[in-house]
Amino acid sequence: MIFKIAWENVWRNKTRSFVVISAVAVGVFAGVFLLAAINSMVVQRIDSAVNEELSHIQVNNKDFRNSSDIQDIIPDFERVVSLIKSTPGVTDITGRIIIKGIASTSAKSVGVEINGIDTGKEKEMFTLSGKLITGTGSYFATETKLNSVFIGEKLAKELNIIRYILTPDAFSVLEAKKIPSFVISKLKPLSGQRFTSDKKFKRACETLLAPSESAKYGLIIRETAWSYREGSKIIISFLDINGTQTGAAFRVCGIFRTNNDLFELRSLFVPIRELRTLTGMKEGQFHRVIVRINDNRHTGEISQKIKENLPDYEVLNWKEIEPDLAMMADLMQQIYALFMAIILAALAFGIVNTMMMAVLERTKELGMLMAIGMNRKKVFSMIMLESIFLSMVGGFAGMAIAEAVIAITGKTGINLVKYSEGMEAIGYSAHLFPTIEPQFFITTALLIVLTGIFSSIYPARKALKLNPIEAIRTE
Amino acid sequence: MRVIEIKDVYKIYRETEIEVHAINGVTLDFEEAEFAAIVGPSGSGKTTLLNLLGGLDYPTSGQILIDGTDLSKLKSSALIDFRMKNIGFVFQSYNLIPVLTAKENVEFIMSLQKWSRKDRDDRTFELLKGVGLSERANSRPAKLSGGQQQRIAVARALASRPKFVLADEPTANLDSKSAATLLEIMEKLNHEEKITFIFSTHDARVVKTARRVITLEDGKVISDEKVK
Repeated sequence: MIFKIAWENVWRNKTRSFVVISAVAVGVFAGVFLLAAINSMVVQRIDSAVNEELSHIQVNNKDFRNSSDIQDIIPDFERVVSLIKSTPGVTDITGRIIIKGIASTSAKSVGVEINGIDTGKEKEMFTLSGKLITGTGSYFATETKLNSVFIGEKLAKELNIIRYILTPDAFSVLEAKKIPSFVISKLKPLSGQRFTSDKKFKRACETLLAPSESAKYGLIIRETAWSYREGSKIIISFLDINGTQTGAAFRVCGIFRTNNDLFELRSLFVPIRELRTLTGMKEGQFHRVIVRINDNRHTGEISQKIKENLPDYEVLNWKEIEPDLAMMADLMQQIYALFMAIILAALAFGIVNTMMMAVLERTKELGMLMAIGMNRKKVFSMIMLESIFLSMVGGFAGMAIAEAVIAITGKTGINLVKYSEGMEAIGYSAHLFPTIEPQFFITTALLIVLTGIFSSIYPARKALKLNPIEAIRTE
Repeated sequence: MRVIEIKDVYKIYRETEIEVHAINGVTLDFEEAEFAAIVGPSGSGKTTLLNLLGGLDYPTSGQILIDGTDLSKLKSSALIDFRMKNIGFVFQSYNLIPVLTAKENVEFIMSLQKWSRKDRDDRTFELLKGVGLSERANSRPAKLSGGQQQRIAVARALASRPKFVLADEPTANLDSKSAATLLEIMEKLNHEEKITFIFSTHDARVVKTARRVITLEDGKVISDEKVK
């Protein structure tokens, strides 16, 4: 009966309850959706780190990461691979040669890490080959007289092998993409001009277009004008096994685009056999073993097992290689709880105010209830339940709306193109696909109930202090 | 059988510099199934006496025994429990819980006492029939007239078969027809349930219906007449 009374009391003043419920719903929606957006950044970053850049586990010679010395190869490679393969949970392994060098064109030079890879194996183990920009090559599929290299877009821009040109074809593409004709006609003066960076091109467009037109169409125009001549060449130089400076011309067989500017700038990939020939390294000599496992959640346990089997080697999982990312992933639950607690604490003041008004309005009724035999515990419970119901209706409405919006935006994505430069500089995607773990909703539900409970304490104490005789006589 | 014994009870209020003797040495007994009215001018102590009888306040001195239990010895939480089990209340106004139906209001006390569903239903329908409002069982108080609400309040007060019912000016806000109907019902239930009814009233119709009239003045009993 107390439950029924409390529930019905919530709806006695529909307008007032609606205002409070709406406030709670908006607060909860905002909190859940924001956390889903942040969570998606972390999830995407981890996905990129594991599937494009680092894999789950890496094994190196103990001195290699500090020295980057070509001589610090993995001793007894076959034994190492055999031991790792026998570890439960390991699904795939490949070896890499890793050399520090310089990539250059006539325009610029950039320090890089050259990864000599088994191209077929790495295509299976990593998703990086899928990040190939269409029209820039075929990822080692085409035979070429020169050595081949797979580089990042950032490096390609830095070496000035990417241009921005508005060709007649580009204008046709803009028309097909439904850019208004008056905007296209404004861009005609740039026809055929080559720009060596997107910043220069963007500036040139902004001098011809209105700010609103640049904001609305700028990205599509830049993407359309993006131009690369397939098969461009770069020079890569490095020290060989004997410490002699050497190098070679490489034909770019593809350009990849990820969300990590630093990775795109510093990492390039060449077929391992070509790098062996150039460096003088022998068959069976590798600097790193890359390991993939069946479940990312077991990374810690599996890497520990490998460490125990290979005490004389450096065994690192992705969390140890990128501890800040690991910290973000591990702390998401706590960050979320703290964030929601702050939002709900603010909302609690509104609930307290509403409950106080309800108690003061019902002084006579409460006096009557206490007179006929409703004890203090039941009075307290009734008011607390009312407060909890108020919080829960708003909270669950907020969660339902958040879930619906997350489901939609999780498919369509949220494009933060305005902030893409900054976000990609630190390895985060500017195209978010909000996602949230189910346990976040459980945490939210618990916090909502706690908010209801704490919000009821002051009003309930006020009610308990009522003298039934005086309360009944209240006008 | 004696249900209530009031032994030399005083109630003195000392909230300001002046002492107010609201009850000044009252000694009274009430038997089972009595139908008594307490009358007197405003300030005579009627409401204070009813509050003391109902365990809503403690006497300054003296004893109030309900079925042998001294109310002044009970702690606040025990007093609430005692009230729930032994005393029924009908107030002048605002008797009913607005968000519950008539039926739910009547069974409220029984649900607090954890009666079984069947027992609650049986007793509720018996009482609703007794007050002539069976067809309005599912109506909320807002849909009932003042007189109908007071009849439901009477049914609620009798629900858990208390030792007695205290009614503080129950007809004050009713028209004459509703008041007459209410009194008739209360008298009928008094006979059927054998439960003592004690009224505090200015209403002559209540005095006329009562079988015992106790007159208070300045906190003292100045007359106590059995009229029927």
